Amino acid sequence: MNKYLSIFKISFQQEFVYRLNFIMWRVRNVLQIFLIFFLWDTIFSDPGRVVFGYDRAKILTYIFGLAIMKAIVTSSRTIDVAGEISDGKLSNYLLKPVSYFKYWFTRDIASKSLNLIFAVFEVNILYFILKPPFFFQTDPFLLVLFLVSLLGGVLLYFFLLFIFDMFAMWYPEQGWGPIFFLFIFVEFLGGGLFPIDILPAAIQRGLYLTPFPYLYFIPLQIYLGKLGILESLQAVLVGGVWIVVSGFTLKKLWQAGLLVYKSEGR
Amino acid sequence: MKSLLRYINIWWLMSKNSFVSVFYSKLSLTLFLIAKTLRFLFFFVFIFFLLKGTNSLAGYNLNQTVFFFLTFNLVDITAQFLYREVYRFRPQVISGGLDLTLTKPISPLFRSLMGGADVIDLITIPPLIYAIFYVGRMLNPSLLHATYYLLLIVNGLLIATAFHIAVLGLGIITLEIDHTIMIYRDVTNLGRFPVDIYKQPLQGILTFLVPVGIMITLPAKALMGLVSPIGVFSSFLVGVAAVFLSIQFWNFALTKYTSASS
Repeated sequence: MNKYLSIFKISFQQEFVYRLNFIMWRVRNVLQIFLIFFLWDTIFSDPGRVVFGYDRAKILTYIFGLAIMKAIVTSSRTIDVAGEISDGKLSNYLLKPVSYFKYWFTRDIASKSLNLIFAVFEVNILYFILKPPFFFQTDPFLLVLFLVSLLGGVLLYFFLLFIFDMFAMWYPEQGWGPIFFLFIFVEFLGGGLFPIDILPAAIQRGLYLTPFPYLYFIPLQIYLGKLGILESLQAVLVGGVWIVVSGFTLKKLWQAGLLVYKSEGR
Repeated sequence: MKSLLRYINIWWLMSKNSFVSVFYSKLSLTLFLIAKTLRFLFFFVFIFFLLKGTNSLAGYNLNQTVFFFLTFNLVDITAQFLYREVYRFRPQVISGGLDLTLTKPISPLFRSLMGGADVIDLITIPPLIYAIFYVGRMLNPSLLHATYYLLLIVNGLLIATAFHIAVLGLGIITLEIDHTIMIYRDVTNLGRFPVDIYKQPLQGILTFLVPVGIMITLPAKALMGLVSPIGVFSSFLVGVAAVFLSIQFWNFALTKYTSASS
């Protein structure tokens, strides 16, 4: 446990090595919020308007919620795994008495902690600048389910990103391509740009069969009270099934990948 | 004229090399092509269903909003096709590899800006132009407005060029930033929709300070007949001034290059 605590501390400090770089990364996040905030703000310029089942307060809470969710769910260092496989650095870890998965999960938590601190700060500043109406969930059951689905999203994203990183085991030169795919799926099918319930019901039903809505969209739906307690429980359960499936897939890919890993570049 | 022909030849040679290296890895080419197409289609589907539910966005109907999005893509993808080398510039400065560019008998700015055209983006441009032609025709533009559109697209590319040159200059002055080009991308992404959706002062900033509005929104508005000849002329002034200032900035940045890592 101590060694992972040390990894956490070192990772946290590493994030500060290129401070301006990190701040620029956060600036990028704020710019992305601007696009979707003003887009929806324009659509809901009439405060009484209800579109796609959202009123102004709920949609703007969704947007601001996304900023926090992205810091928690998709802030990750695991993206570097493909590069480590490609240039053979993975071999260093295989020789050390550490779990490669726990190592990266710990680094992820360090990255998420720092990003969350900044995201909360940014959201507060944007709140005072933009003054959006907010929806506050008061039902304790829904809040608990929201937190559970949020933690599920963190675990699911870790597994998914690792699965897409595994592509580099077979194609060391092509590590970035599959990750680019994952980012697009998460952004569009996970509700990272828009709530997916603006799409026709048939498309939504198809999307719920994929893991992506369980990253951002479902947790935010639970928070906004758009799903009842039973529906929320069901959604958390399906998300849990995806965590098990993706964890199992990752384990199998890792075992198969190590058989073909050639430590090229070392 | 002779110098221009020489640079066209050099560009063609460098682009051919870049294309060959991409075609060498067909898997990579296929993956990125599919991913970029998917991203475009997903966004298009989003706009389609959004406008189906709301009927209009800041006063623009579905066809007009789609046209803004297509115009954004044309400027953005063409700039990426031409200036992909900018994305690989920072490692050159850090490793000292820029020394090799500086000692060659061609403009280092030209080499750093246009040394690696992106064939993946090039492949996506023809269908995009067809889509622009198809949707643009539905807006019933006059010949004059279509001409304004083409002129302002050229101007948009001038401004995009200025941005890329400024990013190169920043890459020399401050080694710490490797997100600069991505920040440029995020800022221009604000132009996926007409800048009319943004409130002041952001709308003013996007129109005058970081002229995303002039780069992307204005050409599309010109096709819809919403821009006067004075507007077209003033936009060109902004475009030319932006390129001039960015070249000055590049020249200044070069004086700060220390070749420290080589």
